[in-house]
Amino acid sequence: MRPHPRQRYTRRDFLQRSAASAIALPSLAAIVAACTKPGEENVTGQNLLTPRPDRPVTLPMEIDPIATDTPIEQDAELVLFNWDAYVWKPIVRRFIEKFADYNPSFTAVTTFNNMDEAVAKMQAGQIEADVFFPTIDVVPKLAISGLLQPLNHDLIPNMEENVWPQYQNPYYDQGWRYTVPYVVYTTGVAYRRDVVSDDEIFGMDNPWEILWDPRFENRAGVYDSYRDTIQTALLKRGITDLNTDRQEDLDIARDELLAMIDAVNPRATVNGAYKRLPQDEFDVHLAWSGDIAAGWGYVPEYTRDYYENLGYWFPEDRVGPIDNDCIAIPANAPHPRLAHEFINFMLGYKNAMDNFSWVGYQPPQNETDPGSLTTTEGLYSLQSGWAEPAEYVLPWMEAAVVRESDFDVGYRQAPLTAEVDDRWHDVWQQFKAGVNAST
Amino acid sequence: MRATVERATLPAAEAPRLGRMRAWRRDPWRKPRILSAVTWGYVAWSILPLSVAVLISFNQGRSNASLQGLGLNWWWGDPDLSLFRDPELHAALFQSLRLSVTTMLIAVPMGVAFALGLDRWRGRGSGTANFVMLLSFVMPEIVLGVAMFLVVAHLATFIDLGTPAQVVGLVTYQLSYPVIIVRARLLSIDKEYEEAAMDLGAPPRSAVRRVLLPLLYPAIFASFAIVFADTIDDFVTVRYLSGPATSEPLSVKIYNFSRSSPTPAVNAAATFLLVTTTLVVVIGYLAYRYSSRGERRDDVARFAAQI
Amino acid sequence: MSTLPPEKAVLAPRRSRRSERRATAVDSGVHYPRWFWPSFATPGILWLILFFLLPLYTVLSVAFGTVDPIFRSPLPVYQPWWWTTSHVAEGLGKATGLFRHVYARTFVYVFIASAICLVIGYAVAYYVARHAGRRKTLLLVLLISPFWISYLMRMLAWVNLLQQDGYVNRILTFLHVVPEPVGWLEGRPITVILGLVYGYIPYMILPLYGFLDRIEPNLLEAGRDLGGSPRSTFLRVTLPLSRPAILAGLVIVSLPMFGDYFTNTMLSGSPSTTMIGNLIDDSISSTGQGPEAAVLILILMIMLLIPIWYYLRSTARAAEAR
Repeated sequence: MRPHPRQRYTRRDFLQRSAASAIALPSLAAIVAACTKPGEENVTGQNLLTPRPDRPVTLPMEIDPIATDTPIEQDAELVLFNWDAYVWKPIVRRFIEKFADYNPSFTAVTTFNNMDEAVAKMQAGQIEADVFFPTIDVVPKLAISGLLQPLNHDLIPNMEENVWPQYQNPYYDQGWRYTVPYVVYTTGVAYRRDVVSDDEIFGMDNPWEILWDPRFENRAGVYDSYRDTIQTALLKRGITDLNTDRQEDLDIARDELLAMIDAVNPRATVNGAYKRLPQDEFDVHLAWSGDIAAGWGYVPEYTRDYYENLGYWFPEDRVGPIDNDCIAIPANAPHPRLAHEFINFMLGYKNAMDNFSWVGYQPPQNETDPGSLTTTEGLYSLQSGWAEPAEYVLPWMEAAVVRESDFDVGYRQAPLTAEVDDRWHDVWQQFKAGVNAST
Repeated sequence: MRATVERATLPAAEAPRLGRMRAWRRDPWRKPRILSAVTWGYVAWSILPLSVAVLISFNQGRSNASLQGLGLNWWWGDPDLSLFRDPELHAALFQSLRLSVTTMLIAVPMGVAFALGLDRWRGRGSGTANFVMLLSFVMPEIVLGVAMFLVVAHLATFIDLGTPAQVVGLVTYQLSYPVIIVRARLLSIDKEYEEAAMDLGAPPRSAVRRVLLPLLYPAIFASFAIVFADTIDDFVTVRYLSGPATSEPLSVKIYNFSRSSPTPAVNAAATFLLVTTTLVVVIGYLAYRYSSRGERRDDVARFAAQI
Repeated sequence: MSTLPPEKAVLAPRRSRRSERRATAVDSGVHYPRWFWPSFATPGILWLILFFLLPLYTVLSVAFGTVDPIFRSPLPVYQPWWWTTSHVAEGLGKATGLFRHVYARTFVYVFIASAICLVIGYAVAYYVARHAGRRKTLLLVLLISPFWISYLMRMLAWVNLLQQDGYVNRILTFLHVVPEPVGWLEGRPITVILGLVYGYIPYMILPLYGFLDRIEPNLLEAGRDLGGSPRSTFLRVTLPLSRPAILAGLVIVSLPMFGDYFTNTMLSGSPSTTMIGNLIDDSISSTGQGPEAAVLILILMIMLLIPIWYYLRSTARAAEAR
């Protein structure tokens, strides 16, 4: 029925109706916002966004953490937002079983392919995760924009009891307001010991150069990650500021990367170090220590002979890239109380070490004896009857073990300003496009 | 006859063999062996990798590349990772099916109506509408996928990333298929049936519903089957528009796994989907055949021509 | 009215008078109201406007828009008078300068892959259309099957077969075609090209088959009767006749290839085989490069404008001819 002309729907009616249904309003807001020209806002203190080890930052806390007496949510579907294959499912299920009284459930980790994608999805509000595993470089901007919620320390007692003391006050999050550390790792070069001997690579003046060695044409790999690959080129040329903003440095890195294409035709991979190098698709590959430590799980046949083909190089004086990943709780987490319990659970010694046995990445636990990691078998290996035993870290890749003292001398990867980040992305784009300076 | 003339001019000793070859080459109705070889070679090249992939799903070991004995390990044997037990693969399979069915149910009716409208519309605007529809048909999927992602992320933020956005994107991408198929069919339908119906007193809508539509059933069934099969396979659009883990259909999982570490369980999931889709296509084809019974019977050929 | 049988004439006058009073379509003898058919098309049109044209406009808005200062996410600008051309200028500069190689490489790959598709596809279509006989149905089923078999699964199957220890290498070394296993997945253009062929050749075969199936046999027989050998009949009759179908097939096959990125990612992963699609995919998932991705998409669309326009024209012409 057509309404009487006097009763015609006015625009106010429409807005009121849609406010009730909350469907049109978010979009309306977007449209209304679109009616004003997007401009450059005043950025709140670049320094907050770019902490450095010598310039630590205390992140602002606009909202309070949840109250200590918040009840644990019932019938929660736990959503973890993480890299692929970065947390061992049985450990998550162990957590679910431990809190069975509250009837939580868990299906699969919601994964992202890289941190840019993760941040984009969080910022667009398209992900409602309980727990998020960020790298350090995105933590400040997520915290400042209110996308993370501060942690209630009372609910995570394991943090002060079990974790390395330096993480009570990391440079990027003093007073651990928003994050706890997840794993620690170094970045070096993984190599096949049947092609490159330990003596050869450890005896080189500049072992980073091995990724440029034409001997490994079509058999060399790097990570599909701009920071890690560009920093490798910088280190090869002796530039140790892994967060450099100098264009000369970036130009040098770009030239080196383009030269790498000419020399070895590298492939940028995600699983090259932990899966494809053990499968004999690569001879050398840029590697995080945890990737190659887990490599024994991906060899063609699970015997010590095959394990012995995997090697890892890192500078013997431990002066090289070292870092940690974090765990945080997004501001829009549907089950924040359960998320706190999960974080506390993951910081428990046994759970952390069991996770380590599968993931390959070492947790910063006080109780761990680094020396024993190459002689002790982890839970995953113990459970894998179809494979010969493997230690947490195989004895011949001792360089993959991380010690607290390594952080005193190592280089850290810190957040960059937007403008510098763009220039790093430019270099990366040129590398990925296979732009050859020679043609 | 020509052949015998040729033979007579050659030396007697060589004549028989050479002549037979020449005769074979000259014979216009000979079997084209080269073409035949190429065709069957192509078919083998097309289908064999698939058979290997299906076979690997019955692999006893963990390898994706080589068969290490046969077993149902990855179907329901392995407690964690097998198809039957792994909730992640279940979610992916269900998502694939859910997306396909939903898209099919939205795109085909809309597409059929669109086809009818475009075909019969004589006014202004029909040319433009036709043009836009064909444009959506030829546009590379990455353009549509990225464009939809930008819209959903910035403008129409009420559409959540995940199943809602994926369905919207898929319907947009698939809409042109039913249109083209139904229009092809419409060309062969005479207007006299509707004429007769209307002369017998039927109002326009009834004429369409009771006369025209049944005549279109073959094309409609073909559309259902094709949209379903095409959506199950879709990758570019759903990947950009995916949200939480449960909204990633199997195609995206396969892509992710190819970059990380697949187990043969992925092959098992893909095989399962293959069987399902084959069933749907067969049903669609049978429905097509049933509804077009009494017409020319080179069915598969006509079915193929619809694509 | 004269076509009606006499029995119907009793009812006819009343109906026809009523419909005559309504505005009628030009269709002979069938009287639908003018709004009838367009209303059928309306849902589809609305949908396409909202979810096809509007997203394309959003791509424009992102290309001419700006970037969020903290998150570097793209901020689309919908009003043309506020558009900034800096990103577009930068993108065009890169396309013609830095990424020239990528565009050239993509053209080469697509060209070669389309040519291979054409040669193999035409041979197969020809055989099935004209010589298959009893096996025709079976062959057709086998030819259609790639359409409903997951493309990614077939590609994954190839990835497994082409691995160092996969069956392809095993067979090749067994037959001594190559002395030792070849690294097919190590970033070789040939793998990517053959992957493209494998993925898109069904789109070439079926339309060609449809066309060749419908060629009048009389034309071919006439050619032979006039003294031509099978070869010359083919070259002078069949081939010229199939030119529109060939061109249409080439367009259908090459258009998606230009936007393809996953074939390269799965079968290679090396920067030396990057295609346009990879540039787009990489930039859409990198912070701060949203406008750049949009510009790349616009460039792609403009590049493909001519083949698309050709295809649309020939479809329209074919429709009219029918």
